[in-house]
Amino acid sequence: MSGDDLAGRPPAPPGPLEPWPDTVRWQPISRDLIWVELIRLGVLFAVGLVVLGIGWAVSGHWLFGFGLGVVVLLTGWRVVTIVRAVHAWGYAERENDLLVRHGLLVRRLSIVPYSRMQFVDVTAGPLERAFDLATVQLHTAAAASDARVPGLRPAEASRLRDRLTALGEDRAEGL
Amino acid sequence: MNPGPADAEPGAAPPHPPAGDGRHTTAPPPEETANGSPWSPPPGYGHPPGHPGPPPAGSPNPPPGPGDPGSPPAGYPRPGAPQPPGQGWPGGWPLPDHGWPGHPVPPTPGGEEPRQRLHPLSPALHGAKSLVVVIAGLSWSTLSRVGFGWFAVLVAIFVLGATVLSVISWWNTGYHVVGRELRVHEGLLWRRTRAIPLERLQAVEVVRPLLAQLTGLAELRLEVVGGGKTEAPLAYLSVAEATALRQRLLAVAGHPPPAAPPTAGTAPAPAPQGRRLHTVRNQDLLVSQLLTPQAFLLPFGLAFVLAQFLSEGSRSFIAVASTLTAMAGVLLQPVRRVLDDWGFRLDRDDDRLRVRNGLLETRAQTVPLHRVQTVGVTWPLLWRMKGWLRLRLEVAGYSAAEPDDRNRPDRLLPVGDAAAGALVVAEVLPGVRLDALPSTLPPRRARWLRPLTRAAIGAGLDAEVFVARSGLLTRRLTLVPYARIQSVRVTQGPAQRWLRLATVHADTAGGSGAAAPERDLAEAWDLAAELTARAEAARRADRTRRR
Repeated sequence: MSGDDLAGRPPAPPGPLEPWPDTVRWQPISRDLIWVELIRLGVLFAVGLVVLGIGWAVSGHWLFGFGLGVVVLLTGWRVVTIVRAVHAWGYAERENDLLVRHGLLVRRLSIVPYSRMQFVDVTAGPLERAFDLATVQLHTAAAASDARVPGLRPAEASRLRDRLTALGEDRAEGL
Repeated sequence: MNPGPADAEPGAAPPHPPAGDGRHTTAPPPEETANGSPWSPPPGYGHPPGHPGPPPAGSPNPPPGPGDPGSPPAGYPRPGAPQPPGQGWPGGWPLPDHGWPGHPVPPTPGGEEPRQRLHPLSPALHGAKSLVVVIAGLSWSTLSRVGFGWFAVLVAIFVLGATVLSVISWWNTGYHVVGRELRVHEGLLWRRTRAIPLERLQAVEVVRPLLAQLTGLAELRLEVVGGGKTEAPLAYLSVAEATALRQRLLAVAGHPPPAAPPTAGTAPAPAPQGRRLHTVRNQDLLVSQLLTPQAFLLPFGLAFVLAQFLSEGSRSFIAVASTLTAMAGVLLQPVRRVLDDWGFRLDRDDDRLRVRNGLLETRAQTVPLHRVQTVGVTWPLLWRMKGWLRLRLEVAGYSAAEPDDRNRPDRLLPVGDAAAGALVVAEVLPGVRLDALPSTLPPRRARWLRPLTRAAIGAGLDAEVFVARSGLLTRRLTLVPYARIQSVRVTQGPAQRWLRLATVHADTAGGSGAAAPERDLAEAWDLAAELTARAEAARRADRTRRR
């Protein structure tokens, strides 16, 4: 459950395709996010299982059995991707900008200058709160900017928020 | 592997000290106190950076208004009270003597500028405008069902209702400039006061639909960032008032510290005559719109309607009319463009761009040059034989949500040859030569992903702008000034990963920014680092220039 002891280690083995390995120190996000995501998935899975199971029991049609198999397979695949995706999330604070990277199938790296910050969101849903996690999102004037860091400890989240707002005020530019 | 952005900037400080590698979670970072930024305990969500923020309502330092601070609050002028010239009512109409309807006159410290109403003819114009909407809403099928007489009665009822509503809304709408913001008050049951900080003004447009032209009125539209659509269209003002207000708003918006606070009542400076950059010849405009797919489809559409008319015989007037109405939306687009862009003139006035166009509905749009986020150049296929191109600009503020794309303030050049295009681009983005922009193709292996268009896409770094090309048939070029880049993204899909390619995006406020697709991975990282570094440098230069 407590995965914070992993913090400080690079989130994924630094492959040869990592950008700027010598100037960027990637921070991992908390491994507890895996549990949050798994519980979410588990709820969905249970609902699907119950619906299909009842359907199968009532009608006895083979399609429901087939559907069950698909759901089980998809869930198994999703479990693997959730674990790997959480390992793939990472963020790095540089002098002038925040770097966020995520995604397995489609890999994304966002470089957002602090001075472009319009506002910062810190959110924590009930499930995230249960695991003592929070999400920080940095918004710029561009709708396409994508700087969301989930799975942060509250202390780290508020530190990041404070730092972002401080740097944003300091280098304020806006548009 | 690649030079990081920190290396690209000589003299830049080293990367931030171990900013929270897990051990710094509780201690506040040292910089915040070191750089002396005001740090109040719940730091949270300050207003967006860069601006001191609008003065709060009932601001402590409103500009000296007409009223003497010692005298009783002179929020709203009454007949008999000394009124500054040029204020109060357009054309000297007296305000009703119970002051503002329904409002307890709020104490205005120091006396604010009085609220002004829109032109008294506006409800009539709104009512007339609703006529079209009502007829379209009732549609042809209603006409065929209820007959002409009842149809007319229905329309009359709806239009009357709309007019009554607009009279009520007119009565309750007022605006005034307070300090450095424009306040618009509206609503009877749900009152709304919108304060628009003028530092945020992106573009101002004066629109005059046909009816407004006949009655000497105009609508003032303001573009502000964050609005899903144009904020606070003031419809309608008299033309003199609209131009004066535009001048005044732009004056406040343009110069951060006002030399003298704008005293209510000072007549705004006469509109300076700008330098004419370019005039589009109307005959070029006509030809260019004939060279569009829609124009080629028009005969087929007409033939279709005619065939339907002939085959269906007698009873089908309604059917034909409906078909015509449905097709008009698509097929008449060239006609609409011609009407919209008729008499297109482009002026440069100090650091503002002024665009005037329109035949039935004239528009005069003013965009401060530093508000231009991107410039898009398009070479439609059919225009290439003439060597023509089209230019558009993007301003933060309007979004794709704006239902009517005629209201987007994005016109720059509806049609022009290469020379005109180069001239306008050089004017909007100084130092950019349209005919000499660098652009490199993606590597050869990108042809697996883009078998046809590999040769058409490309990207390059010019001295001032990021250049992205795309489109095989309709060639497009997007220019993003480095200073306007909001964020840089690198994305890589599965197929791209397999081919060691990646796409680099430069995001801007408003619009979609520019993307350099299918770059070699190492090159993509380089490009992203270079874009980040150049954007940072350009921002810094901007900042020092503005101080």
